[in-house]
Amino acid sequence: MWQRLTEGVRIESIGTETNLPDPLGELARCHQCGQCAGVCPSQKHGGIKPADTMVKLHLSLLQPNAPELWLCAMCNSCTERCQLGVSPSDRIQEMRGRATLAGHCPKSFQEEAKLFMRTGLAFPNSGLTKKLRKELDLDELASDAQTLNELAALVKATTLGRVPLER
Amino acid sequence: MSDSYYLFKGCLIPTRVPNLEKASLIVLDAMGVDHRPLPGATCCVEPIGLRSMAADTWLVTVARMLAIAETEGRDVLTLCNGCYLSFQEACHALQDPALLEKVNLVLSSLGREYRGGVKVRHLLDLAHEKGEEGVKSHVRRDLSAFKVAPHSGCHVLRPSKAGLRERAYAPRMLGDVARWLGSTVVSEEGWPECCGGGVASIDDGVSTGMLEDVCSVYRRSGATCILTPCPFCFSQFDLRQKGGLPVLHLSELMALAFGATPEEIGLRYHRTKLGPISGSP
Ligand code: SF4
Ligand code: SF4
Repeated sequence: MWQRLTEGVRIESIGTETNLPDPLGELARCHQCGQCAGVCPSQKHGGIKPADTMVKLHLSLLQPNAPELWLCAMCNSCTERCQLGVSPSDRIQEMRGRATLAGHCPKSFQEEAKLFMRTGLAFPNSGLTKKLRKELDLDELASDAQTLNELAALVKATTLGRVPLER
Repeated sequence: MSDSYYLFKGCLIPTRVPNLEKASLIVLDAMGVDHRPLPGATCCVEPIGLRSMAADTWLVTVARMLAIAETEGRDVLTLCNGCYLSFQEACHALQDPALLEKVNLVLSSLGREYRGGVKVRHLLDLAHEKGEEGVKSHVRRDLSAFKVAPHSGCHVLRPSKAGLRERAYAPRMLGDVARWLGSTVVSEEGWPECCGGGVASIDDGVSTGMLEDVCSVYRRSGATCILTPCPFCFSQFDLRQKGGLPVLHLSELMALAFGATPEEIGLRYHRTKLGPISGSP
């Protein structure tokens, strides 16, 4: 599966695509046994249905703006359970990547991405952070300029640099 | 195996729950572990939201930090399940020479190169590797009043194909360490459940449903607190749970066992208070 990780770099436009390429045949292998569905904690509460999602992805029936894509908690239970190596959570992750490039990433994750690019961290170094760290006698958090420069270059060279983010 | 570490603190711990950082530092010093903060650290590109937006950004970001760690010949030590999986899956993926070459192409523009020689450990691994005698030798306080329900958290267990140290079914490392520390373990995990933290910012109903499923089991077990090695699970249990079962991060139970006071490690910052068992109000 790792061959596909950097594939995103080459995707130029995916706006209308609804299918997920399946070069290693994982999706094709799914025989809808439902084992992943049985262990999915999100499905139990009306969230994503992994077995369902696999067949939809294979048949190009899932739109990139499908809200259920983001109701997966990435607990990897489905991938652990599936005996055929379909790895549903990996497929969901790939589809999220495509949805993101097509402009369908939830706001909370977009905000996280912006913060990451600006500060190097995924959570804000807030006033409360400073207060708590001081009370606990911990040093102040600081990001150095070189690290942020390297991060900017790295983001530019990879997919995150091309992700459309709302202002 | 290197015995000196670069400590990777992540984002959540230093910004939102620095009390866990404090407890961890006390624990590492008490065990005589040689540790230094990882220079040039950024977020690990956590495996739930950020990574799924841009998988190649994740891989290169972690590879950059592995390259930094490698120049000093230190392994990476994490305090968080998310950080652990991010690093461990990257280490695993980068064993593929073709992928490593591709990643190094980007790293070379930063003047860096990763050769594939760094290992990553979670505090849980480190404690478990010390073994029963190794852990017990540091214990200074009787914790038998702590009846703990171990909650490993997804990202130290799954997916097993990433070469994680703990097994995916019936994990026992956390319970072992808790017993060696002198606490009373009142339940064992079978198929480990998810705390629902991964959808907390997306859908409150789904997230809370998942959280209540797992907490209700721990409540029925007679536990006086949940024990987890993950700060995301910790926050989910501490801030969003309805039933009021307190939670401890592994570093906190270790610090208390090793003689740190509740004041020192900031137990007062817990939303769900531990009460008399901790010796603090
Ligand atoms: S993904 Fe695997 S576990 Fe799920 S239905 Fe398909 S074959 Fe079964
Ligand atoms: S990773 Fe997502 S789809 Fe798979 S079991 Fe967990 S919540 Fe369900």
